[in-house]
Amino acid sequence: MLGQLKQHIERIKGKGATYLDARWYPFEEANFLTMWNGNLKNTSASRESGLGIRVLYKGAWGFSASSDLSDVAGLFDKAFDNARVAAERVTFPVRLAEKDAIQAKFESPCRINPFEVSLSEKVAFLKEMDEKLDQPGVFQRVSDLSFMRKQIVFVDSEGSEIEKLITEVFPTLQVLGRDSEGGAHERKYRPGRIGETRGWESIDRQLFSQHAERIVKELNQVLVADTCPKEDRSVIILPGLMYLQTHETIGHALELDRILGYELAFAGGSFVTLDDFGKLRYGSPKLTARADATLLNSPGSFGYDDDGVPAQNNVLIDKGILVGAITGRQMVEEANAKARRQVFDGSGGANRATAFYRVPIERMTNINIDPGEDGSLDDIIKTTEKGMIVDGDHSWSIGSNREQFHFGAEIGWLVDDGQVTKVVKNPTHKGDTVKFWNSLSAVGDKSTWEVKFVDNCGKGQPNQIMQLGHGIPVCRFDNVRIGE
Amino acid sequence: MKERILQTLRELRTYALGKGVEVVLFYHEEDSYLMRFANSAISLNTNEHLIRLEIVAYSDRKRASYEMITDLSKLDEMKQGVDIAAEMVQHAQPLMYQPTIPQFTETFSDESGYDATLAQISNEERLGYFNQAVKGLETSDIKLSGIFSNGANTLAQITTRSEHTQYFKTSDAQVTVVLAHGTLKWEVIAEQSAQKKSELDPSALHRDLAFLLDHYQHDTPQQIPLGKYDIVFGPAATADVLHFMNWIGFGGGMMKRGYSFLTEEQIGKKVFSDKFDLTDDPTRLETFPARQDFTGIPRKPFPIFQKGVFQGFTWFQDDADEFGAKPTGHTVMHKSLVLACGDQEVNTLEELVAMPRDKDILYIPFLHYTNIVNPSKGVITGSSRFGALLLKKGGSVVVPYNVRLTQSLLDIFGDKIAWLSKSATPYNISASYGARNPSAIIVPTFVRVNDLEISHSNASY
Repeated sequence: MLGQLKQHIERIKGKGATYLDARWYPFEEANFLTMWNGNLKNTSASRESGLGIRVLYKGAWGFSASSDLSDVAGLFDKAFDNARVAAERVTFPVRLAEKDAIQAKFESPCRINPFEVSLSEKVAFLKEMDEKLDQPGVFQRVSDLSFMRKQIVFVDSEGSEIEKLITEVFPTLQVLGRDSEGGAHERKYRPGRIGETRGWESIDRQLFSQHAERIVKELNQVLVADTCPKEDRSVIILPGLMYLQTHETIGHALELDRILGYELAFAGGSFVTLDDFGKLRYGSPKLTARADATLLNSPGSFGYDDDGVPAQNNVLIDKGILVGAITGRQMVEEANAKARRQVFDGSGGANRATAFYRVPIERMTNINIDPGEDGSLDDIIKTTEKGMIVDGDHSWSIGSNREQFHFGAEIGWLVDDGQVTKVVKNPTHKGDTVKFWNSLSAVGDKSTWEVKFVDNCGKGQPNQIMQLGHGIPVCRFDNVRIGE
Repeated sequence: MKERILQTLRELRTYALGKGVEVVLFYHEEDSYLMRFANSAISLNTNEHLIRLEIVAYSDRKRASYEMITDLSKLDEMKQGVDIAAEMVQHAQPLMYQPTIPQFTETFSDESGYDATLAQISNEERLGYFNQAVKGLETSDIKLSGIFSNGANTLAQITTRSEHTQYFKTSDAQVTVVLAHGTLKWEVIAEQSAQKKSELDPSALHRDLAFLLDHYQHDTPQQIPLGKYDIVFGPAATADVLHFMNWIGFGGGMMKRGYSFLTEEQIGKKVFSDKFDLTDDPTRLETFPARQDFTGIPRKPFPIFQKGVFQGFTWFQDDADEFGAKPTGHTVMHKSLVLACGDQEVNTLEELVAMPRDKDILYIPFLHYTNIVNPSKGVITGSSRFGALLLKKGGSVVVPYNVRLTQSLLDIFGDKIAWLSKSATPYNISASYGARNPSAIIVPTFVRVNDLEISHSNASY
């Protein structure tokens, strides 16, 4: 296949294409298992293979993909024809940032291939968890396992040849209960990444058992709790929600294609402008955020992106000042030209596609916040006069330029005079992004830092689901509106 | 091609029977085209031709499924898929209820929603449509974004229970045109949904965009005070809210699992305004309907709310099996929701703005990133986007920065509904995640709801 791809790359180059790449997926397989109230509702698996061709012609992209590899030549021709028509409406001809031609292989660390684990063993795990969750107060209980494994062969017209094998495991436990007024409340457990691998071995049964007990206990506390008050308080956000706060109000806001207006038809833009880099005080000096695609155990690490650029660890916000973005080869060139200065020094290696039949776009890698120097969660609570601790992603809604947000958590604990006083239900908080991050008054140390996975980040048209991660400490923000 | 698809399914059925495996085979073929615009250029021009085969295997109360992306020349690969599903089901755990295996009693075929001229529209035509929709409206600051997505969808089914097949073929197009200011960051939108080519009308989009631009180019945006407003929702906003109601409202399975704001006790009771009539109407081709569900039940108009009175839950077959309910013909990829129109004579945004008014009215065409805050109370939240207008009492018009609305569906469609327009719009809600699934909700073009609270008001875009 490789030889065939190279031959067609040369053929289409001969027609005037300035760049081509091909992503051949010999296979991508997935396995989903859901046990719901003791019923194995979902036992499904999937497998696909195919080829996606990207052609750059006269500054415009064309793309074509198919699972039918009987006419590879036709697929190249179709992608070229799509680019030819796109070239009739070009305003800023696409240029690609320089990169080295790379011949490499990447394999995500995996000791036990989840696709070689028997279905009965997986079902036994779900059954064990279901029994743990089957406790008084629990109205619905859901245990989920999903697995992915894909092989990607990338070849481009600049001499790169990269082969990747990526394996992911995503487990979740969830319980739902009803309060005395019939209101539904949920509590979930999605483990932080531990160890240095991401195969079946990353599922620690003992840890799951402990957390199954914890979420049932916390659900029962919520069921008898008072409603979250509507007032201003400090908000202490645990990693189980802090990952999403970071995802929505730093991650998406700093995707360079959004900043440049490439997602305005659907996902939205960003309040960030090119002029802001190096100047904007995005957050308090306690905030340092980075895009780190080199964390071994997280789905935001993939070796090489779908432009063939190596994974990197780049600072996005340095002590509160905006310094970087989530970037690929095309966007950095356009941004630098439009800014009329060198804002970005080459691609950040974050261009990824969800499948062979989708085109790569800027996606988050692992968007992390560095641990701080404000101690443990207990230390942060002790220094909080009037606050609320929140955990669990229940609801999230963000403005189209990521300028404001509204989050609902699964559980809240009020804090008064340095002590946790009571649990509250339906906790929410809202705010304006920059004002909120500038109110960051405490960042937990390494003991509070967890790597959380995201298995379903959506973006783009046609939509693409992506897997990534967030390494996140406990954070406290002051004067936040809660309870609306 | 149709006969080749059905013959393949028949061969796979024979193979499964030969192996003693009970299966349901579901074939999905999409031919998708998408031209995407950004910064006034074509940022992506793509097409995908994908064939998916889902094989659901049953063994008494056990069930397992295997899905593959394949093509019709790979019969052996598909047979392997049957083997894999058969192997998986042996290791599955029995359900606590008996799952129903569809048994089609007659062969059914519906291509009434397919228009070849729409499905096969050319690259040049897509570009021509866009050029016409924004002719003279782009400037060096005001840039075009949007999509022209069109394609054909073919679904086919067979089960080992009978030789009969089901076959559906539809065509669809979804057009979104956005004009946005590069530095001021405001955005206006016009959209169109089409089931056949003759429904495409770029001049209508041009009219709406030109009208909105006239305000957005010349008026200074303002942060509006928090508080209660009489709000007129455009078709996108109304369809979005109904889409959420479909999710946390009248689905029987969701209700039984505690994710609904409706209860069984509310059947036959008044829940919403008597102006609120909501029907699942598969006779409306604009909604890209399935006229027979995937278990073979013929689909007819199904009233969900009549004069605000809740008529009953819709049931997906598997939920009906689990909870002992009678299936209602809703084992489909999407419903065909139609919100009945009212009697307010207003057809266009221009007419809405020109209407006499005795108080300020906030026009919200679109809700961005709506999500559920409290499913039991039907509370959702979302932000305005794409061309909101504050229509002042005296007749003037103000451009507002975006605002957030956090409200219960019970309030939005309760007695606060002032009027619904006489004209209707099919609003395309297709998501392009996974397999192509064109869907649309038919809504009154404008719906006015009084006294809704704005909980957040932006100071900028």
